[in-house]
Amino acid sequence: MSEKTILVADDETHILHVVSLKLRNAGYRVLTAQDGMEALELALHERPDLVITDYHMPQLSGIELCQKLKADPLTTGIPAIMLTARGYHLEPHDTEQSGILRMISKPFSPRQLLSTVNEVLLNAA
Amino acid sequence: MQRGTILNLLSGAMLAGGVYLLAGVLYANPSLTMSLKGGVWGVILLALSAGLSWWLTSSMQKSGRELRRQLECVSNRGQSRVDCSRPDLRPVAKAINQLIEEVEQTINAANLKTRELQIELKVANAARQHAEAIIYSISDAVLVTDQFDEMMLANDAAARTFDFDLKGSRRSPIDRVLGDQRIVEMVRDMRQSDSRGGRRVVEHELRTPAGPRTFKVTLSTVSDQSESACGVVAVLHDMTREKEVAQMKNDFVSNVSHELRTPLASIRAYVEMLIDGEASDEKTRDEFYEVIQNEAGRLGRLIDNILNISRIESGLVKVNKQPLSLMVIAKEAIEVIAPQAALKNIRIEEKLGSMIYQTLGDRDMLYQAMLNLLSNAVKYTPDGGTVTVQTDVDVAGRTVSARISDTGVGIGPKDLPFVFDKFYRAEANNRMAKGTGLGLSLVKHVVEVVHQGRTIAQSEVGKGSTFGFELELID
Repeated sequence: MSEKTILVADDETHILHVVSLKLRNAGYRVLTAQDGMEALELALHERPDLVITDYHMPQLSGIELCQKLKADPLTTGIPAIMLTARGYHLEPHDTEQSGILRMISKPFSPRQLLSTVNEVLLNAA
Repeated sequence: MQRGTILNLLSGAMLAGGVYLLAGVLYANPSLTMSLKGGVWGVILLALSAGLSWWLTSSMQKSGRELRRQLECVSNRGQSRVDCSRPDLRPVAKAINQLIEEVEQTINAANLKTRELQIELKVANAARQHAEAIIYSISDAVLVTDQFDEMMLANDAAARTFDFDLKGSRRSPIDRVLGDQRIVEMVRDMRQSDSRGGRRVVEHELRTPAGPRTFKVTLSTVSDQSESACGVVAVLHDMTREKEVAQMKNDFVSNVSHELRTPLASIRAYVEMLIDGEASDEKTRDEFYEVIQNEAGRLGRLIDNILNISRIESGLVKVNKQPLSLMVIAKEAIEVIAPQAALKNIRIEEKLGSMIYQTLGDRDMLYQAMLNLLSNAVKYTPDGGTVTVQTDVDVAGRTVSARISDTGVGIGPKDLPFVFDKFYRAEANNRMAKGTGLGLSLVKHVVEVVHQGRTIAQSEVGKGSTFGFELELID
């Protein structure tokens, strides 16, 4: 099995750091971005297997990022997990329009995040 | 009529008396009867009739004159009744007096009614003026229309809202007075709906000279005794600000929860990583401990800030004023904020004046205000920027001041007047950094309410902002 690439986008450095470490320790290749625009460029260039993004980010919000990825034929199939500190409920049209499959509320457990990542990638395979 | 009857009776009785007397004399002297036969009889009877006629006429004229005199006295000299002492006039006088009495009663009743109506009119006028005064003093816009949809009454607030001339609007069709067709339709529909005592509340956005505003329009019908609507009262309450405040409160709850969750998320994640042994070496573990400690501090400061503002504003915190130097307070705040600035490579430039100039203030509160200003400056300044802290004295103006300038994103003129409002966050800032919208609100309260000072806010988009405050200089 080839190494899966995951793109993590969050403007909170500590969160970005801890999520990356957890995923790397689990054997994934991790790309990081600190705002939405940077994440979009990286995603178009690297075409990761999964995107984990924060909801509230400068330049481009997590939702906008996922919508752009879904709209682009190059990245349309990439599943996404959203991390959010706001009480946001995932609606069916979010998945349709942005490819967001799961919503994880902050504070979150990195352990739980990893199991969600594994599950999403397994289903996507 | 009565007078005629009496005269007829009198003349009849006298004629009968005369005939009876003559018949008696003729019966006693049969010879005379014979001689007088023919023309003599005619002459006697004629003389008697003439005498009787004269007597009757003169008597009637006399009575008439007296009656006229009496009536003149009644009408011109204030005499209340016609004299009834003369037997010939008694029946007529009685009838006239009865008539006078009836007329007097009618006049008195009419006078009484007139007085009552005058009082009622005065009361009604006073009530109308009072009601109009109330309507004019209401800050909400009030429009009163009649059954022809013409303007009967409007107050200043209505004239300002719809931008029309108050005096010229009376009795004009509302579609000519009001520029907003939707309001005209609402009033017309309400009147036509014929719902007596009915009320409708509609939310409506209106273009006013001061820009678009949201109004709560309450429409009620005015009914007359026929129970059909004869007019409409429309009251327009400007709820733009209320809606903004409600929205700001919602945003605040959302922002606060976001702000609290963010450091908590780091703490929870790093603790779990340590427990799970994900930090492979001592250096990483130390790094994790430091993150946990810093984020716990951030959470604590945030909670303090939220609690402080509510406690200070509600007056729960006792104000303890003492002579102090803003320079000393600025130095303390800089020390606390320095690590945060260092993380972003921001240089803090100190232009602190002498500490001998003092003001009378609450040390803890002013320290909190200074810290909030500094924290904002660092937060909104991009990496590698500069934050300048300056304390000054104006001996002539009797003030000491603290100014904190940054090389940050700046605030547009549209947002600048509101930055000290509670929960307010400029849209540009919202994207730049997270916040609760409480920091500057606390500064304003501490400076203006607690210390009767003045807040300073200057900004230029793209160049940076200067925030600060001025307090009274003491000797």
